[in-house]
Amino acid sequence: MSSDPADPSEPTSPEGQALQPRRFMHLRWDLDKTYLRTEFDSVKDLIRTFRQKAEDKIAVAGASALLRALLDPRERSHRRVTFISGSPRQMRKVLTAKLALDGVEPDMFILKPNLENLLRGRFRAIRGQVGYKLKALLLSHMAAEHVDEYLFGDDAEQDAFIYSVYADILAGRVDAVALAAILSTCKVYRGDIDEIMAYHRQLFGSGEVVRRIFIHLERRSPLDRFAAYGARIVAIYNYFQGAAVLFEAGALEPRGLLAVTAAMELEGYTPERLANSLQDLMRRGVLHFGTIERMSRELAAAESTMGRPVPRFLHAFEDAIGSLENLQRPGPAWEAEINYLGIYHEARFRRQQHRFLGIRLLD
Amino acid sequence: MAHIVLDSCAGRDGGREALEAAAIASLQLDHQITVVGDEADITAALAKIAHDAERLRVAHARDRCEPDMDAAEVLRQSPRNSVVVGLELVARDPSAVFVSAGAPGLIVAGAQQILGRIPGVPNAALAAVYPTLRPHGPVSDLFALLLDVGATVECSGDDLVSFAAMGAAYASKISRIDRPRVALLCNGHGISNAPSRAREAHRRLLAAKPAFEYVGCIRADSVTSGDADVIVTDGFSGDVLLRTLEGVAATGESLLRRAAEKFQWRVGVQMLSDGISAIREFTDWENYGGAPLLGFDRAVMVTQADSGRRAFLNAIRLGAKIDRLQVIAGLAAGVAAFHGLSAPPASAPASEAT
Repeated sequence: MSSDPADPSEPTSPEGQALQPRRFMHLRWDLDKTYLRTEFDSVKDLIRTFRQKAEDKIAVAGASALLRALLDPRERSHRRVTFISGSPRQMRKVLTAKLALDGVEPDMFILKPNLENLLRGRFRAIRGQVGYKLKALLLSHMAAEHVDEYLFGDDAEQDAFIYSVYADILAGRVDAVALAAILSTCKVYRGDIDEIMAYHRQLFGSGEVVRRIFIHLERRSPLDRFAAYGARIVAIYNYFQGAAVLFEAGALEPRGLLAVTAAMELEGYTPERLANSLQDLMRRGVLHFGTIERMSRELAAAESTMGRPVPRFLHAFEDAIGSLENLQRPGPAWEAEINYLGIYHEARFRRQQHRFLGIRLLD
Repeated sequence: MAHIVLDSCAGRDGGREALEAAAIASLQLDHQITVVGDEADITAALAKIAHDAERLRVAHARDRCEPDMDAAEVLRQSPRNSVVVGLELVARDPSAVFVSAGAPGLIVAGAQQILGRIPGVPNAALAAVYPTLRPHGPVSDLFALLLDVGATVECSGDDLVSFAAMGAAYASKISRIDRPRVALLCNGHGISNAPSRAREAHRRLLAAKPAFEYVGCIRADSVTSGDADVIVTDGFSGDVLLRTLEGVAATGESLLRRAAEKFQWRVGVQMLSDGISAIREFTDWENYGGAPLLGFDRAVMVTQADSGRRAFLNAIRLGAKIDRLQVIAGLAAGVAAFHGLSAPPASAPASEAT
């Protein structure tokens, strides 16, 4: 189901010249381990998560601040947020309440029909994410002319894979044959495949809509695991890194960056930890030195208005980045063609390799 | 939270295991870890290893140092090597601890140039722990301290006295021994036949009323008995003694492997395997981390040249402990008390302390 943009009329400058049309921004968020700190590694964790009240649920540091900054009321008419979660539909009430407590109002909130899957004996669908999430992403695609999508997921499941397939369907790089092969390899149920293929017919080649896919490294997976997806996927250790990348892309205002930084500080992040995070992005070629300089200026100005005599961020950034000032690292390449089946089999092999008689071995 | 500066240019597999230890430490410990080395190599290697980039930083060292080169030559030809860059970082941060498996000579020479000296300490000492039969102190520490094991090969009586004061202060901080027993390593015929430096140190230690208990001379065959908490000697003899102890342990292991020749022996060894593993754990140098280089106003840990992941991780843990217990400040206070000086401030930067 696609939605129409709220205001499609193109604004003009005082001189009467046509300006670039305002772009819509569609934010897609996963919930567990991306927005919320959730533990579901054991049945006990699952039960506890299910019984938790809204006020007991904790958001990942900086996640709600970043989302609120991106959903700036001044820009809200051109911003849309969709949550797509693998949590059961029975949790809608408590999850909506949690988001409301955080000051986040989603435009669409899609939850997994786990009970229905259970009753219909679709056990693979309870655990599997590919069919469900891909369908939900295509279903909630916003068919506006000027739209940028930013997707947020985590490394605990297959978010990078699913989001990337979705982005490449829109970009016209995953055709029907390739998609059918991917879905059957991922053991998606026949009915779901049919529905996804129908969406594919409608949306294939819509354009390069997905600008960035942020993968929150909740499990601290090695970065190389995401290299095959190219530059579109940015693996992030925290939302300060996400905010920095969005700031460089012009998708986040300086005040948004400051809000995220303040939220991270409140969560106990020291300037050193934030500086390390920036250095990491710079070394990976994701962020440029000039951006960090601009960020430092913004943060130093904010610190001085807070009455701090010494700009702690500036010092920490200088320490971390100073010696790498002349670093000219080319960023990762934007992969033209991604070998999804290869990635899928590699991940499957890795999961099996680290288990012996069902016992998880050391990574 | 400690700041560990880790040299990733030395150690097993060309420093790769040092980097892996840093990655593990970033995930398991709440410390700031700075890895020093070639930034491009480190970044490429880190991409393949699970790590926490929030706690891990890279400092670029432009020059590589060849392991066989003389320390002075390295400092002249490769002035921006990982040891120098790492020590400079440590000099700027009072809570930083430098960990390196680089050549001890280069580390000592670099530290002499870059770090400040504890007042009253003419030369640095490398302190190593070794297992003993009797436990030490209230925490029943099974390890005693031996210093110097290679930092100052040509020692004077002054050096030995300052080593005694530093060793005692270190033992009282790390092993929580109120009044550590300190001994001088001598040869078999008592102090009268010892070299003049040892005789001078013996005389001065007997005459002084230090905060530790000076128990006199100890022979090499008694060092593992545990009669002394700290044994003081010059860098040459200490290194020889330490290598001998390690050699004996390695020979023991080799002999056990030879037991496989006979079936009955193999069965016997198998039955004793738990005990053998415990002894192996106990004598394995990788479990001790590194040897602290004492005498400077910053903490420096020297690990063995072929240190692996485990040795580096233990060195990082020990480094963090040294920072948490304010061992360097304790050393300065201990030396100052011995010489009747006033102790420098706990976290004075290098230039102020010298």
